[in-house]
Amino acid sequence: MKMTIKNNKKIGKMTLATILTVLIMALALSGCIGQRADEGIIVPVNRDSASGTREFFYEFVMNKEDFTNMIEKNSNKAVHQTVSQTEGAIGYVGLGYIDNKVKALKINGVEPTVANVMTGTYPISRNLNMYTNGEPTGAVLEFLNYLDSDEGQAIVAEEGFVPKQGTGPYAKVEGLSGEVKISGSTTVLPIAGLALEEFKKIYPNVIITVSGGGSSVGITDVGNDNVHIGMASREIKSSEKQQYPGLVGHVVCSDGIAIIVHPKNDYLNDLTVQQIKDIYLGTYTNWKEL
Amino acid sequence: MSDKKHKLPYLIFSKKYFKENIIKILLLISAVTCIIIIFSILFFLVKEAYPLPTDIWSFLSGDKWRPTSANPQFGILSLIAGTLLVTLGAIIFAVPLSIGSAIFISEIASPRIRGFIKPIIELLAGIPSVVYGFFGLIILVDWIYKGFGVPTGETWLAGSIILGIMAIPTITSVAEDAINAVPRHYKEGSLAMGATKWQTIRKVVLPSALSGITAAIILGIGRAVGETMAVLMICGNSPIIPDPVWNVFSPIRTLTSNLGIEIGEVPFGSGHYHALFGVAVVLLIITLVINISAVYILGKIKEKQMALGKKKKKNYISAETTYKIKKYIKHALIGFLLIFVYLVTGLLFTGIIVLAAIVLSYVFKKLPEKKIQTISFSIITISIIIVLCILAILLGYIIVNGIDAMSWEFLTTPHSSLGRQGGIVTALMGTLYLALGAIAIALPIGVGAAIYLVEYTREGKITKTIRSAADLLNGTPSIVFGLFGFAFLVLFLGWGKVLIAGQITLAFMIIPTILRTSEEALKSVPQSIREGSLAVGATRWQTIRRVVLPPATPGIITGAILGIGRAAGETAPIMFIAVTFSAIEPSSLWAPVNALSYHIFVLATEISGQEAKIAAGGSALVLLLLVIGFYIIALLIRNYYSKKMKW
Repeated sequence: MKMTIKNNKKIGKMTLATILTVLIMALALSGCIGQRADEGIIVPVNRDSASGTREFFYEFVMNKEDFTNMIEKNSNKAVHQTVSQTEGAIGYVGLGYIDNKVKALKINGVEPTVANVMTGTYPISRNLNMYTNGEPTGAVLEFLNYLDSDEGQAIVAEEGFVPKQGTGPYAKVEGLSGEVKISGSTTVLPIAGLALEEFKKIYPNVIITVSGGGSSVGITDVGNDNVHIGMASREIKSSEKQQYPGLVGHVVCSDGIAIIVHPKNDYLNDLTVQQIKDIYLGTYTNWKEL
Repeated sequence: MSDKKHKLPYLIFSKKYFKENIIKILLLISAVTCIIIIFSILFFLVKEAYPLPTDIWSFLSGDKWRPTSANPQFGILSLIAGTLLVTLGAIIFAVPLSIGSAIFISEIASPRIRGFIKPIIELLAGIPSVVYGFFGLIILVDWIYKGFGVPTGETWLAGSIILGIMAIPTITSVAEDAINAVPRHYKEGSLAMGATKWQTIRKVVLPSALSGITAAIILGIGRAVGETMAVLMICGNSPIIPDPVWNVFSPIRTLTSNLGIEIGEVPFGSGHYHALFGVAVVLLIITLVINISAVYILGKIKEKQMALGKKKKKNYISAETTYKIKKYIKHALIGFLLIFVYLVTGLLFTGIIVLAAIVLSYVFKKLPEKKIQTISFSIITISIIIVLCILAILLGYIIVNGIDAMSWEFLTTPHSSLGRQGGIVTALMGTLYLALGAIAIALPIGVGAAIYLVEYTREGKITKTIRSAADLLNGTPSIVFGLFGFAFLVLFLGWGKVLIAGQITLAFMIIPTILRTSEEALKSVPQSIREGSLAVGATRWQTIRRVVLPPATPGIITGAILGIGRAAGETAPIMFIAVTFSAIEPSSLWAPVNALSYHIFVLATEISGQEAKIAAGGSALVLLLLVIGFYIIALLIRNYYSKKMKW
């Protein structure tokens, strides 16, 4: 034991690991002590770049001016989740995603409700579309007809979208079979998904699948004949029209875009479109400025 | 050792040797497959990346990623920064815990505890990344948001913690191997000199294992860089460079999550599409560099071990100089860390830390060695306890959240009402189809390659190349396989989203696992047995089939099961080439399929409502049990036969 190293400097080195550990722990703790964020910082939440909701927002609200850098989520649900967990957050989702975990703001004094979109007083709304390559036939046509019927529009209403007026009951066709593949907008996905379950009960012989991806994917897929129906939560762009001249549009229903914030956000209940734009441009960074 | 006679033409065409040669060629083909795969991945990524919508320089140095804006900008600097920063954080978090765990397992734990803890840490490696993401999204993000009072919990810090947890098993197991490889007589020598156990570990074991530990850390970095799903779900995905750059509470977007979000949604052939493949090329290059350096370091260690006892090369730098250099590096590192702490927390806190450090080091100097040993050992033990706690919290959370959804109906009915009602049977079956299909493709190739490497070649250039190709394949991020499958199978061959595309892509991904485990199994069969068989007149193939393969089978099966487990847990590579959120079982290999991992991802991120959350929890639990089940079976087989097999 007398051989123990006596050089103090060397023993000091042994503590290196300990010191490092302390440093790292301190680093982890430091946030608790020093770094409480300022009250009222705005956390804008955006959708990903393939989203039709974002395209619509970009054109309608932002007038094609670029967003400031912010959190991006790849679905309505994810935006909803982030906003519901984050006090200063603001996000935009389809009307169907409003619930008691978030607060939906009035726009120009108009509440985001199905009735207000129907009458046209709520300013931020758009059509949800399905595209086919050429005029639809067979099972694809019947599926679109089903969506246009009372039964189909009931699903639309149930999911919180704005149904079309003046539809009739669905008339069954005998002996229908075939395949329907659908892809595209995650906003339209719930409607298609629920409709296909009902549709399969009527026509057990029809094979029908639906997947998401985003509006751009839906249009590309249907244009390349990978699927029979492409869902889009925006209108087809002129560049896409050029690339796929055969696409035929079909309006499923309308949808309002609700601006949602955290339920504890007491700064305001009402915004103008211009204010929303300024928030997403990064002009306002704190709720108190509004 | 093959004698000249074999090369004579009449023997080649004689019936006996004809069969032998055919088999040899088949095995060679499967061995070369690894090389072909890695090159075709590179080829397809580069091909699809061309032409980039901007020039290469502004692609790499631009910090604005706005692919769909009216004036699109494709700068990936912020993505590269995101990847590097999140990895750096993960490593700072994971390295102390992993090295501590490795020291604990190999040096401190009793054999019984070791036999218990080692598989548990390996289990961490088996948890699918989408489950980590689900956990991170619901729990960790909320903790960070509430605990630190930051605007949002979806941050660099959250990503780093989750990635750190995911890197722990990789670093721990490789570091532990390195520590175990330190020759016994080094330790005995040190102990005989009167050094304490801790002094021995600190001064003898760790320095000798240093290069192995470095390699372990590099592999951990590779794991963190390549991870997609978890990062995508919890990092906030803002394509920005944190401001200031050490702001750990900034949202961040990595190269992988950028691909995961956008690739399935981009119009084919657009500038955005090419730019995304450019991102994949950059990602692949980063991981290749990381993996090549790890392979190189590990190779050096092997050389050193083989050359043990031979005369050492002369050192051009004297020991004193190296010591000095090391000292400077250490000081620089501490200084760097201190500056970092200062920038994050301010002067007062840094002062306290420095003071504490000085007091601590002074106290340590005064302490007797025995006390220091006790303190060091308790720190090491704490690190392993932290790791076990993390695992317990993770598993506990998943179980508590999943148990509500569990019922017989949940397991046996297809989902309806967008997964809010009904069960997961189609997703479960889809996962099994994908995993079993993948193993059916990967097993012959992997085992064939292993047989070729072990039985037909001597260590040389060919084996080295094939083995490095397998290592590179092993370190390739799973999303890159997905992109390759997307570019080659879905688009180039025009298959669309189909089951078989997913199976092939997953097969490519698990070939290295199978190759490596089979190789180990074959190598563990003693040479003398082969020689005995050859001596009684059996041909090479007969020897392999009748003598070598039977005892190696358990090892190969272990590898196969590990491969199935890995394939079943993956999401990123299949989500845009094989899976849809459908409740219908695929009618053939040419139909899309649902998979459990994707089911969780969709339920957790796209479907609204409380029922969806419960169903997501239930699906996560089932996937976890499924994957862990595979791992446990593999571990049991390994343990059973390693006890039984005595040559």
